[in-house]
Amino acid sequence: MLTVEQNEELTQVGPGTPMGELLRRYWYPIAFEEDFDDVYTKTVRLLGENWTLFKTPKSGRYGIVAEACPHRRASLTYGVVHEDGIRCGYHGWKWDFDGNCLEQPAEADNQNFRNRVQQKAGKAEVMGGMVWVYVGPGPAPELPRFDVFVMDGVKDCGYATLPCNWLQIMENSVDPHHVEWLHGQYFEFLGQTEGFDAPKAFQKKHMKTGFDEMEWGILKRRVLEGGSEESDDWKIGHPLVFPYFMRVGGAGIDQMQIRVPIDDTTTWKLFFSNHAPKGADLPEQERPVFYEYLWKDENGRFITDYIEGQDVMAWVSQGAVTDRTQEHLGRSDAGVAMLRKMFKENMKKVANGEDPIGTVREKHDRIDLPCEKDKFGAEREFAEAWITLGSSRYSPIKQELLDLHDSAWANREKASADA
Amino acid sequence: MPTPDETLDSVERTRIMAELPPDPHRLPARGEWFAGDAERHLLDRPKFCPMCAGDLEVDGGIATEYWTGDTRNFMTWCGDCGWFGEVVRFDMVTITEEEH
Repeated sequence: MLTVEQNEELTQVGPGTPMGELLRRYWYPIAFEEDFDDVYTKTVRLLGENWTLFKTPKSGRYGIVAEACPHRRASLTYGVVHEDGIRCGYHGWKWDFDGNCLEQPAEADNQNFRNRVQQKAGKAEVMGGMVWVYVGPGPAPELPRFDVFVMDGVKDCGYATLPCNWLQIMENSVDPHHVEWLHGQYFEFLGQTEGFDAPKAFQKKHMKTGFDEMEWGILKRRVLEGGSEESDDWKIGHPLVFPYFMRVGGAGIDQMQIRVPIDDTTTWKLFFSNHAPKGADLPEQERPVFYEYLWKDENGRFITDYIEGQDVMAWVSQGAVTDRTQEHLGRSDAGVAMLRKMFKENMKKVANGEDPIGTVREKHDRIDLPCEKDKFGAEREFAEAWITLGSSRYSPIKQELLDLHDSAWANREKASADA
Repeated sequence: MPTPDETLDSVERTRIMAELPPDPHRLPARGEWFAGDAERHLLDRPKFCPMCAGDLEVDGGIATEYWTGDTRNFMTWCGDCGWFGEVVRFDMVTITEEEH
């Protein structure tokens, strides 16, 4: 339970807010490369502000500037993209990638005027088929090349825009017990009443849970009924990657769950998966496959017969911003309290001029994150459940993914029989 | 003092509210079902760090309240000295005996 003020401080992400200032120290995916196959500009919204994301026609370089032109506030998304920046379509004022004003056609060429008008600008780069942006103060950190985005494999990514604050989604990631209830008992109840088999792996009881603060966030561990501290779920665990990811995986699947704070009441929620089961012949893939997943049916009810749909129901039904003055936490919510403390700690670091946790300043090729390989002790059942009973059910390559895992399994069985 | 899950009649509520110090903090609207719990949280949460006595509010700390049995626990972090631990409010100290 928190006070009104504490709740507001943790959930407001706009410019000048303590959380907003912290979140602006990180890179965010905000669009797909394929969005720019036919257009050179796009309006995007991030951390409560609107931005114009643009791609130059020849060099393919990406830039991001605040959407409203500083002249008369028209949208720069309807401007002319040059190799050195973007020109407002309204009166031709031209801006470079850093927001410097290069030209003011209708004004006398007076450098004093141009130099006094600076547009807000950020940095933009591509990784994993997505356009990532940084809109905080300089010097910008390196874009962290987390393993899932750069490893070999077949990638697909489900996305949806959810009408709720990003923090209540993050709190789900340090709440292990919900798995045996929401994805276990509730799923079983639905299966019995609607006539399908819910996966049993998610119904195992939690015997012990643990949370460790680590360099990227919070490492979550669990011992499930039938398991032990030698199981991957405890020995390795998986991390909440501060401030807006969760890394999960198992059975040859690795996933980053991404929660981009669009504004105080909207989150862009992505499930970015890489499939590389041992023994698979991995096909070439030019770009990840992006698809929208559904979370409400035509009658306005939450779609809860798949795993992520259940999570979405739990997040969105809390309200646009969870009223934490009305909550009643228990001991099992220790991870949630720990996460709130981590946010406060890093807000303070930023206020003191320090880098928050997870800031990467060194050039690198790949950052490997700890994650279970054998998840819930379920192996093959886990991979099949992931694809058919998760958001991948909406993936255009769902059958290819099932075939990939099947053939990998067959190859492994053959190799072990031959051995 | 009443515990959060007791129903307060209007006389008792008026008495308690009169004891609340002047506070710039806002509360949920009176009609909210758990407004009483929110009031108690505002009143009872730790204000100062148990280690350095720093002001938890001024120095950027946080206390998240959670309940176990009859106790109210405050997982507390001090923004001044970094102390991270729990402050537990007892009305009665109870101990569960292990099998023996």
